[in-house]
Amino acid sequence: MGKEKITINWNGKDLEVEEGSNLLKAALDNGIKVAHYCYHLGLPVAGVCRMCMVEQEGVPRPFPSCNANVAPGIKVRNDSEKVKNMVEWALQLHLVNHPLDCPICDQAGECGLQEYYLNYGLYDSSMIDQKVHKPKVQDIGRNVMLDAERCILCSRCVRFTDHITQSFEMGIVNRGDHATIVAHDELHNDYAMNLVDICPVGALTSKDFRFKQRVWFLHEEITTCIGCETGCKVKISYNESGAYRVKPVFDSEVNGYWMCDDGRDIYKHLSRADRVFSPMKKSQGLFLPTDEKTVFETVKGKKAKFILSAGLFNEEYEQFFERFRANKEQVALYTLPNMGEDFDGILIRGNKNANLKGAEAYFLKAGHDPSVEQFNRLLSSLSDKDVVFVVVPEILYNQDHFETLVKKLSKAKYKIALTTNDSMMILQEFDFLLPLKAFAEKAGTIVNFNSQERHMNAGKIFVPEAKELAHYVEALL
Amino acid sequence: MKSAEKFEYSAENKKKYDHLLTRYDDVESALLPALHLAQDQNGYISESVMKYLSELMNIPVVKISEVVSFYDMFYNHPVGKNIIQVCTNITCSMFGGRELFQDLCRQFGAGQLKPVNNNKYMFQKMECLGACEQAPCMRVNNDYHGKLNLDEAIRIIKELD
Amino acid sequence: MSENLKANFEKYALLSYHHIPEVHKIDIYESAGGYVSMHKAFKMGPDKIKEEVKESGLRGRGGAGFPCGTKWGFFSKDRKQKKYLLCNADESEPGTFKDRYLVEKNPHILIEGMIISAFALGVDKAYIYIRGEFYQQAKILENAIEEAYAKKYLGKNILGSDFDLDITVHRGAGAYICGEETGMISSLEGKKGQPKLKPPFPAIKGYRGLPTMVNNVETLSAVPWIVNFGGKSYRQWGTEKSPGTKLFSISGDVFRPGVIEVPLGISLKEIIDNHCHGVSGSRILKAVIPGGSSAPILTAEEAMEVTMDYEAIAAKGSMLGSGAIIVLNSTRNIGEILKWTLEFYHHESCGQCTPCREGTGWLDSILKRKLFHKSKLDDVDLMDQVASNMRGTTICALSDAAAMPTQGIIKKFRKELETYISTQGNN
Repeated sequence: MGKEKITINWNGKDLEVEEGSNLLKAALDNGIKVAHYCYHLGLPVAGVCRMCMVEQEGVPRPFPSCNANVAPGIKVRNDSEKVKNMVEWALQLHLVNHPLDCPICDQAGECGLQEYYLNYGLYDSSMIDQKVHKPKVQDIGRNVMLDAERCILCSRCVRFTDHITQSFEMGIVNRGDHATIVAHDELHNDYAMNLVDICPVGALTSKDFRFKQRVWFLHEEITTCIGCETGCKVKISYNESGAYRVKPVFDSEVNGYWMCDDGRDIYKHLSRADRVFSPMKKSQGLFLPTDEKTVFETVKGKKAKFILSAGLFNEEYEQFFERFRANKEQVALYTLPNMGEDFDGILIRGNKNANLKGAEAYFLKAGHDPSVEQFNRLLSSLSDKDVVFVVVPEILYNQDHFETLVKKLSKAKYKIALTTNDSMMILQEFDFLLPLKAFAEKAGTIVNFNSQERHMNAGKIFVPEAKELAHYVEALL
Repeated sequence: MKSAEKFEYSAENKKKYDHLLTRYDDVESALLPALHLAQDQNGYISESVMKYLSELMNIPVVKISEVVSFYDMFYNHPVGKNIIQVCTNITCSMFGGRELFQDLCRQFGAGQLKPVNNNKYMFQKMECLGACEQAPCMRVNNDYHGKLNLDEAIRIIKELD
Repeated sequence: MSENLKANFEKYALLSYHHIPEVHKIDIYESAGGYVSMHKAFKMGPDKIKEEVKESGLRGRGGAGFPCGTKWGFFSKDRKQKKYLLCNADESEPGTFKDRYLVEKNPHILIEGMIISAFALGVDKAYIYIRGEFYQQAKILENAIEEAYAKKYLGKNILGSDFDLDITVHRGAGAYICGEETGMISSLEGKKGQPKLKPPFPAIKGYRGLPTMVNNVETLSAVPWIVNFGGKSYRQWGTEKSPGTKLFSISGDVFRPGVIEVPLGISLKEIIDNHCHGVSGSRILKAVIPGGSSAPILTAEEAMEVTMDYEAIAAKGSMLGSGAIIVLNSTRNIGEILKWTLEFYHHESCGQCTPCREGTGWLDSILKRKLFHKSKLDDVDLMDQVASNMRGTTICALSDAAAMPTQGIIKKFRKELETYISTQGNN
């Protein structure tokens, strides 16, 4: 694709566009509003919704802009009465058999039909006839719900499973207005939830999110997923009562338009109800609230040893080593074991340590050893003269592996877990718990598999009482 | 119908299929003829047939399902041994094609695409069959019959085995 | 060649052999003058063949009426480039049965036409996409093809040249939309017969992404005559813009329905009164559908005035289309005719693009509102609006094919339609 720029004219205004670019893409890239459903920048062109019609000087009839390329000097319009009428009617025909499920549909507030009705419709419907009914409320697996009646047959989901995951799961059966979207078998690809994102209407929705929140009550914060070392750009939706979902954000460097299904769960531990929000002390098999003073008074005099996770931010490692001036034997890095294949060819990587590269760099910079050998050495060195602090990884796919680590801590006099949540049974082994800020409550930087810096932003802070690692180091000293 | 058994081409049909492949430049193009062959053998395109063809031709099952559902002459449900297709398009309707279909259904206790008489017959309303000069027209299995009245149509159907 | 036979070639380009018993057998066909044209064509060479076809002014006989020579001109001339020739034998336009009539009696005329055309276009693989319901006709074609292979008119090094050609009969499975050229290509690719976005056009990028020429049975079958007697001679028939002869399928209220081959430009009156022996039933003409159900209806007055060529019919707001003429006498209810027409398009829409998918269904529903006690005064206006907004906005012309007859009937038979809608019966 030529990167050279050419000029075209749209609605009387000159635009700079990339030579050979798709016409609709060129318009959208330049911020021009062109109605469209089936077109998606990450998928091949279908040209079936017939919303993106334009007129071009010298071309006898209007045509869909998604099926055309730019050429120097062309004059295109989508603001004529003729085109506006075509768009209104295309919308009206989309709505002929569409069930008016808005009151119970999760898509309300971010629905393509609602949006365009307000922008291009506002007509009185003449549709008083019996609508075509199709199967609703189908659980098609991988957390996806299918409502075939709401589907506008844009075929985005079919193109996704054909071209992106190449798993060939979605299809459209039957002819005419009985055409129905189906998943022949249960979905079995690792990117199924992208179908929910790309569906312009409430035909494909998330089971996790079903009936939980109205989207107009949600805020979004863009951050980076910490599920593996890929570091996809994502946004987390939340409000006062909790975090509700994760969606991908387009990023040309790493994840394009997509994210994997595992990453969709990274909001689930954020809400206040699931968190630790006070230091806890184990007393007769139960954890009871206590305070920092008590914790640090108790362990006074013992030698502090730290086992850090590989999911902290660059800034956190830096601050830690600045404050905790210690011997090499006192700090080690716990790395999560690989899971699955090294790379699935799309986005998922077997290395689940979100900031391994960052951790290693800062360990070495501070003169410490991030290796597994050092980790094992520290574990064997534990004695009743020690208090060992363990940063519990926020996302833990392999609990067995972590449990093995925890069992090896028994020789230490005191064991303290710095953790965001307390739901794991193995935390019972610890004497104290200290509440840690979750990844989505902090701003900073991590480094992905490709040595690219990925940014983290702080969204809603659900547990103001939780602190960062550096705070506890300071309290210790 | 032996719908519980796993479908595979008979030896003769497998030979025909292999010959088919030599006429096309890719395997997918042979799907429609392959489906005709399978349907002739199995009566209809069952899930088992689709799975078999999917493996044989390396075409995803959902794509085969799409194709079967798209065409009027492919059936993804059990059918009658004899399929009677009555045209109800313009010229045939002018000459009683619709009444013929309804009367035949009444006569045989049938409905659109519902096998009757111990699965001996199945009736299907069709669009223009391309024999309008013989309206009203019906297709019985692979044969056309035109200029029909109800009695004549019933006679033809009853003679089927 | 007997005088009788020669006379046939002077009168017909396509039905020249139709009176000969067993002419589907290659020996009989040849002894009657068949395949002479093919031999001549191979001596002429591809360029000369294309010239003759261009000169003849032969227009696509499937419905679009696009000049064949021009369409062939778009095709890549690179003989090493892999390309395909598809014969459109899907014949599903309501009222049309001319291709069936032609090939079930005389399959070899099509095969000869395809060999010559493939040779001219530099294509080594051709398919006859025949509608699935034409099972017997497919068998007839397959047998004829086998005979041609046996005579080495197909296969490798035809007539000692370096030209190879394989023809395969490919049966459809019951879908009108497979008669649309890109719908046919999709179906041949083993998919649903859904038309493809144009551009790119099939001549550039068609079957399997390669250059593909799609021609109707009748178009290809006219090629042997044109090669034999010259493009200029073909123009002895017809009008200047619509040269040659055409197969018309006439059905409905006439005493003698059937297929005739006549020069284009003949009056519709002559077809109905002479060739078809007049209007049957009440013997009073009410209306005529001149070119298949997609062609807007003509009133009796218009029908008695019009000549059957592309321009004259277009001037009356309709189209020659496939040449399928349905004659309606005074007992026919135009509302019912529209109902059957709309049910057809509703059933046949492939469902891919929204205006057609939803529009064909909605038009069908609006027409039947009376049955659900939902009729409104302005139902006809609504139908007109919906139909109008289904035109010029879709991937293929099925949407227009449903909309135009609707608007035609609203324009010319509005009163009758209004009565029908409000009573679901006759006036």
